Amino acid sequence: MERQTILQGRVLITPLTAFLIALLGFPLLLDLLYSVSQVGFENIRAPEISGLGNYAKALADPEFWAAAWFSLRFGLIVASIQVVAGLVLAIFLAPLFAARPWLIAFLMLPMMVAPALVGLMYRLILHEFVGVVPYYLLEWYGDFPAFLGRQWVFTTLVVIETLQWTPFALLILHSAYAAISPDVREAAALDGATGLRQLVSIDLPLMLPAIGVTAFIRFIDSFRVFDNIYTLVGSGAGGSTTSMSIYIYQAFFKVGDIGLAVAASMLLLAASFVVLWTINRLTARREPAP
Amino acid sequence: MTRLKTLLAGAAMLAAMGISAAKAEVTVLGWPGGPEEAGLRKVAEAYNAKASEADKVKLIFFNRDGFFDKLAADLAAGTTEFDVNLLATYALGRYAPFMEPITLPAAANETFPEKVLATMQYDGKQYGIPTDLSLHFMYYRSDLIEKLLTDADWKTTYGEISEKYLGKKLEPKGPDQWTWEDWMATALFFTKSINKDSPTRYGSVLQMKNLLFNMMVWHSAARAEGGDWMDASGAITVDSPAFRTALEMYKTLFDDGATPKDSTSYEYAEANAAFGSGQAATMLQWNAAFADLDSKEKTPAVAGKIGTVAPPTGPAGRFTHIHGLGLGINKASTHKEGAVKFLDWLATPEAMTIYAKAGGSPALSDAVVAGIVAERPDLKKLGEFAGAYGFVMNGGTAAKALQVYELQAKEFTAYWSGEKTLDEALAATKSGMAELLKQ
Amino acid sequence: MNQTLSSRPVMSALRWLVFAVAVLVLNFPVIATLVTSLKSDAEISSNASLIIEHPTLDNYAAIFAMADRFDILHYLMNSLVASLIGSVLAIALAFPAAYAMARFKTGRSWLLPLAVNLRAVPLIIFAIPIYLMYQQVGLLDTRLGLAFIFALVNIPLVLVLFTSAIAELPFEIEEAARVDGASTLRLIWHVVLPMSLNVVAASSVLAFIYSWNEFLFGLMLTTSRATPISVGASFFFAASGGGVRWGVAAAVMILATLPPLLLGLLMYRQIGRSMTAGAVKG
Repeated sequence: MERQTILQGRVLITPLTAFLIALLGFPLLLDLLYSVSQVGFENIRAPEISGLGNYAKALADPEFWAAAWFSLRFGLIVASIQVVAGLVLAIFLAPLFAARPWLIAFLMLPMMVAPALVGLMYRLILHEFVGVVPYYLLEWYGDFPAFLGRQWVFTTLVVIETLQWTPFALLILHSAYAAISPDVREAAALDGATGLRQLVSIDLPLMLPAIGVTAFIRFIDSFRVFDNIYTLVGSGAGGSTTSMSIYIYQAFFKVGDIGLAVAASMLLLAASFVVLWTINRLTARREPAP
Repeated sequence: MTRLKTLLAGAAMLAAMGISAAKAEVTVLGWPGGPEEAGLRKVAEAYNAKASEADKVKLIFFNRDGFFDKLAADLAAGTTEFDVNLLATYALGRYAPFMEPITLPAAANETFPEKVLATMQYDGKQYGIPTDLSLHFMYYRSDLIEKLLTDADWKTTYGEISEKYLGKKLEPKGPDQWTWEDWMATALFFTKSINKDSPTRYGSVLQMKNLLFNMMVWHSAARAEGGDWMDASGAITVDSPAFRTALEMYKTLFDDGATPKDSTSYEYAEANAAFGSGQAATMLQWNAAFADLDSKEKTPAVAGKIGTVAPPTGPAGRFTHIHGLGLGINKASTHKEGAVKFLDWLATPEAMTIYAKAGGSPALSDAVVAGIVAERPDLKKLGEFAGAYGFVMNGGTAAKALQVYELQAKEFTAYWSGEKTLDEALAATKSGMAELLKQ
Repeated sequence: MNQTLSSRPVMSALRWLVFAVAVLVLNFPVIATLVTSLKSDAEISSNASLIIEHPTLDNYAAIFAMADRFDILHYLMNSLVASLIGSVLAIALAFPAAYAMARFKTGRSWLLPLAVNLRAVPLIIFAIPIYLMYQQVGLLDTRLGLAFIFALVNIPLVLVLFTSAIAELPFEIEEAARVDGASTLRLIWHVVLPMSLNVVAASSVLAFIYSWNEFLFGLMLTTSRATPISVGASFFFAASGGGVRWGVAAAVMILATLPPLLLGLLMYRQIGRSMTAGAVKG
């Protein structure tokens, strides 16, 4: 039985593995080569191997660390807000969705718009003379902040990202909440747990895996944020909105230092692999084998 | 199983190497959406009407966002998807290794002035036929300036404001006589937070987003102060007093509120929207903006009330940045003969006349302009300004010129937004440029 | 108990209120965009409010008037085909693998983190190598080539969602089926998949949306034949000299958003039904 399971498992993961190898095997090897080479657009077919200089350059570049910090901070803040907002909405509105499931579609809308276009539209929406937000703030309060100025731009980006992706958290958490068996709640109700107590002692613990997955996905997505920031403010005044992805994109296409861009990505890849592997070990140890 | 798939994929790859698709036409990659596209379509239509079947041209376009990044990837990978592609002066150095130098047909010298042909030259070789020329105008609201020049109260206030903010009492002058200081005084005067009688909220709208094109706009000021990227010996001179003065000028206007407070995120479209709403009195902007701004359908608030002159004068003279867009030949092209035929024809007065009439903005010789001046009076101004005030920074067509623009955009916007001091920004720019421009 | 009964209408009203506010706030950019798409250029430059003085469909007409130069239906079709193939492929590849990971722990220690990592790094670093590879095998500027990339982009997400969903399924039903002698493949198809319809539906919607909105690879790997809408969009709203025609841009956005929106509405009926069915059975 044991050997058979291992075999079956291998068969089941083979198509995925084969697909990844077919599509990424060669690119990954080439990228590894690029990361230890002196390479720009002039010589993508004939990179000159130069050792680990690109890695050293990335690690010594204060902008690499600034970009990493920007992405980390952005990802953590945005993911936290989205999970809390999504959770509150999913639970509070659950009775509405239970009776009329299609209502949730109205809350899904923001996700459907390409982030690149969203960034572009905010250029209009936030514009002092033609934008609707400054227009009403001016009308009602007589003033408005410089949304994309140095002081406010981070907050503005957080709000934009939150408005677009809270629906994602809501969708996943709603599915998780709806999947809790009524039996469990009835049993809890018989024990006298209602309302808030039921929520804290029954629902939230049962939803914990879903909450974890949601927070994780939202964090990763926001960590690698690119399209909307890039189309709205580019890399920002003095590079102040350079996320990790923007840093790598700039190094790759604008500076044409492909070796550096790829080396920075490999560092990122290694770092996140270690983090994921650790999380995996920790969770695997906690849950008993089936 | 896994190994097998990899082998199969490898085999498929090898098999495909032998196949190269045969195309019968010359494919031309153009700049989508704007008048350049309209012009190119008309020209291609006229060319196809007389070209042989095998030489006919087909047009394709890329997305505007990331156009040059995609082009770099395609050219570097040796694409054969297009034979002729768009080029820009500031990016010539970057694309030259992947382009085929061309020999100018005799007609080219008849069609274009020497200075314009030079916008498509790199390292002594001609890489393309220039199709459009871009430079800057100082846009101003003619109705407001007229009042400023005649109204006694406004003149008094103007004097007071210039004394308070710039340290010397200035008299209003006509825009064609402006020095950069006069422009600053005008910008401050038309700013509501400084002068409560100002009919506009801001005296100007500056493009201060971290974007290479915004550096080009600002360079007209730096050059008028006498600034250059390098001196004759190749030493970087970006920390000269000229650059400082021009940088401080923008900073002053930004800090004093003479430009919208979001200006550090403004580029072409934002600036036009501000000026077009009638709430900015002046704007240093690309020549291409005029048609849209002067259109009653698009911006009724300012249409018919816009004047344009060359950028103001500085101690070193009067200047405008110029660069050209053009079409050149992809080195990997499999239809070079056909491509040469098309470009040769493109350089004729006949082709350029069609191009200009359809909306393109070529800078043409006086003889050719004379034939279309009735339909396109602006082209006369374009050619004159380019000849009289056009300049290219020393190093502005170097292999890494694009990176220099990117570097300046990042450092200078850091200074304007208050993230860095002027000295910090200039020091970082200087050392970065020395690295990028060293031979 | 009495208390909850009496407060029920109040709570219900409150819920509707919260729902309405959430819809308005979250959709604010979409609403503002829709409003902009119905204004003329002149009105955009003079009236920034949400009230349209002279509603017009000119911006939409402008898009279709350009059909002979840039064909929006062609771009929409490219996106539709590539996104559908990409999403289905991602799900077909990820589901069995997720089952193996959740139940047998196969590859959990390396394949899962590796695959999930793909979401953490900017995939653009693979652009040049994939470009060179596609050039050799003839996948450049094809819908299929684009679909492979879409699958790649979505595999991390669906894999995580599937793995965690399957791990939470009750093991007993599978065990019973196994005792009856069902093979693993049959088990997955007949038992596990039906129990996971919720998450499969949600994942396919998400995968489709992500594919639809993917921009950089669409830009890099296509030239004309397979251009997706996210890339084709800017053809329509570039004004002279590199500016943006806001009204047309807004109209393109609305048109580009319609297909995933309709799909989302359609799928929600399915999801809703499967949820109610589950509740009745439970």
